[in-house]
Amino acid sequence: MQLKISKSTYRSILKSLISVALALVVTSVLFILTGANPVLAYYYMFVGAFGNFSLTVETLVRMTPILLVSLGLAVSFKCKVWNIGAEGQLYMGAMVGTIAAVSLGNTPVTLLISIALCILAGMAWAGIPALMKTHLGINEVITTFLMNYVAIYFVQWLIAFPFRSPDTLFPESAQLPAAAILPILVPSTRLHLGVLIAIFLAIPLVYLLMMRSTFGYKLKAVGENPEAAKYGGINIKRTMLMALVISGALAGLAGFFEVSGIQFRMRGSLSPGYGYTGIVVALLGQNNPIGVAISSIFIAAIYNGAFEVSRVLNQPQGIVDFIQGVLIIFVLSSESIMRFLEKKGVIKL
Amino acid sequence: MIEMALVVGLLAITLRTASPLLLASLGETIAERGGILNLGIEGAMLIGAFSGFLGAYFTGSLVVGFITAIIGGISTVLLFGILVIKVNLDQVVSGLAINLLATGLSLYFFRIAFSQGNFPYLGQLIDPTPIPGLSGIPIIGDILFNQTIFVYIGLLSVPLIYWILFKTSFGLRLRSIGEDPFVASYLGINVERTRFISLIVEGIFVGMAGGLLTISMFNTFDTRIVAARGFVAVSIVILGRWNPWGALAGSLLFGFTQALSLWIGTFLVGPAAPSISQLLSLLPYVVTLLALVVGGRKVRGPASLGSPFAKE
Repeated sequence: MQLKISKSTYRSILKSLISVALALVVTSVLFILTGANPVLAYYYMFVGAFGNFSLTVETLVRMTPILLVSLGLAVSFKCKVWNIGAEGQLYMGAMVGTIAAVSLGNTPVTLLISIALCILAGMAWAGIPALMKTHLGINEVITTFLMNYVAIYFVQWLIAFPFRSPDTLFPESAQLPAAAILPILVPSTRLHLGVLIAIFLAIPLVYLLMMRSTFGYKLKAVGENPEAAKYGGINIKRTMLMALVISGALAGLAGFFEVSGIQFRMRGSLSPGYGYTGIVVALLGQNNPIGVAISSIFIAAIYNGAFEVSRVLNQPQGIVDFIQGVLIIFVLSSESIMRFLEKKGVIKL
Repeated sequence: MIEMALVVGLLAITLRTASPLLLASLGETIAERGGILNLGIEGAMLIGAFSGFLGAYFTGSLVVGFITAIIGGISTVLLFGILVIKVNLDQVVSGLAINLLATGLSLYFFRIAFSQGNFPYLGQLIDPTPIPGLSGIPIIGDILFNQTIFVYIGLLSVPLIYWILFKTSFGLRLRSIGEDPFVASYLGINVERTRFISLIVEGIFVGMAGGLLTISMFNTFDTRIVAARGFVAVSIVILGRWNPWGALAGSLLFGFTQALSLWIGTFLVGPAAPSISQLLSLLPYVVTLLALVVGGRKVRGPASLGSPFAKE
């Protein structure tokens, strides 16, 4: 197969690279202000993420929920539906999957049923704001965000009271039965089956959905020009509803994989904000499944690398959120920056 | 009479819990009237809370904390303004960017200022200031006139902002920009300048709304301190139909919900009490969503709200 990179693809890649470079430069200022050498900081960040085999595996493990969430968000963002409720959808998926797994116990179908239910839970949780948008005209940004709080507080209540573990002191669920735990692929690492599913199943499926199906075409049409899409006979409401629900499905799956691959219990601290990180990743990847995949490795590396930076250089963890915030601003400005550079003749395509 | 005292207490708490929502939604009302949808309000409140806390902590002065909170609010909203007005970026996504940036900045500098495991708190807080004479009035005095400065500012700003929006030429200019910036610009109104002024005013209000969380309410800082109050304020603006009086009504409703859930919690007894009282923490968010379903359907805001304005 011949890999042909078109000029517009090349330009898109360049745009993302410029955004990343600028974000890293701005973050350097933060390092300098606090007396750390930015070059050293980025070196330790790289070492912390890819320094040896087990660190690299950990980065892939970290990437998995981010990848699943952001693939879903790319679908939603493609038709300009701003789902910022992936965090809540992730928690609801994880919770429902956990309840299913714990209730079923060790049966041959426990894992499959739990996975199916976590996806449904994510879909349902995204479906509520989706219907509020399509049928009542209520801005999904507000509703999806508020529903994060409902989900997280509700889950915290569930694991503190009705589904509290009988054998530990903390508010957490009972341990998943062995049949609901994702198998580990490489002994003495945390590389679980979910990592493979995310890379070899989720990426191709979302790619086919977005790039090779009529639904993908509809997404693009609705996102770019809803008026024209309407005249072209596309059901805009249905497309938006589907897009939001699909992103909920992947967020729900991401949540349950974290329980059944990593934590083995539902906890209130399951996600350090993967639902919000997914927004940055989807935008950095320009809603392209391949771009999103590469971006999620990058962001996962920043997450894990930041531990090393904070350990060696005594830098606070807030750096992870800061880089994401700066990155998102440059991603948004990248088209203007690109045009500016083209006008000045710095970049010629 | 005991029942009466309890109800008075509930209503007094209602005003207190409503005050951050009222200040934030008044600020957002002004911005949205000019066509700017600022979803970065959550982040601006966070920076207000953070800078207010730092100011008060390191100088030992609540007045300084009050001022630094406002400066923090203005700076954050102005950064948002530069992104959406000068660079012409998408308002929704820029708002989200501001929120992430605010979380990162405050988390980062909080850990720079205070080492790990250190939980700083302020020596004193902005407490209720009884208004001489009026606070002695039975019932009403306890509810209305024995409150913090933030409640007074919020309540007095409602008619003030109404007057600015609907009775002054600035308000007329701002509203016409909100309806159609192109027409407004054609008529000689300076769209950029008017919008920036509206955002500075929003910054003042949002800074106060955030600041009161640390220097008057919780006495500590945490990056989760805003807890969606910014987004609740945006919902209140919709429910209040972009009108300051509507914002007051909406804020009181949500303040009441929150006060009620705290209030009920204190009365519960028996083995199920902790469970129910924890579940009640959901109530304000659920009520906001339900209120949007009932009162937010297909409402028409300022026509240009959220859409870009690029002069060619």
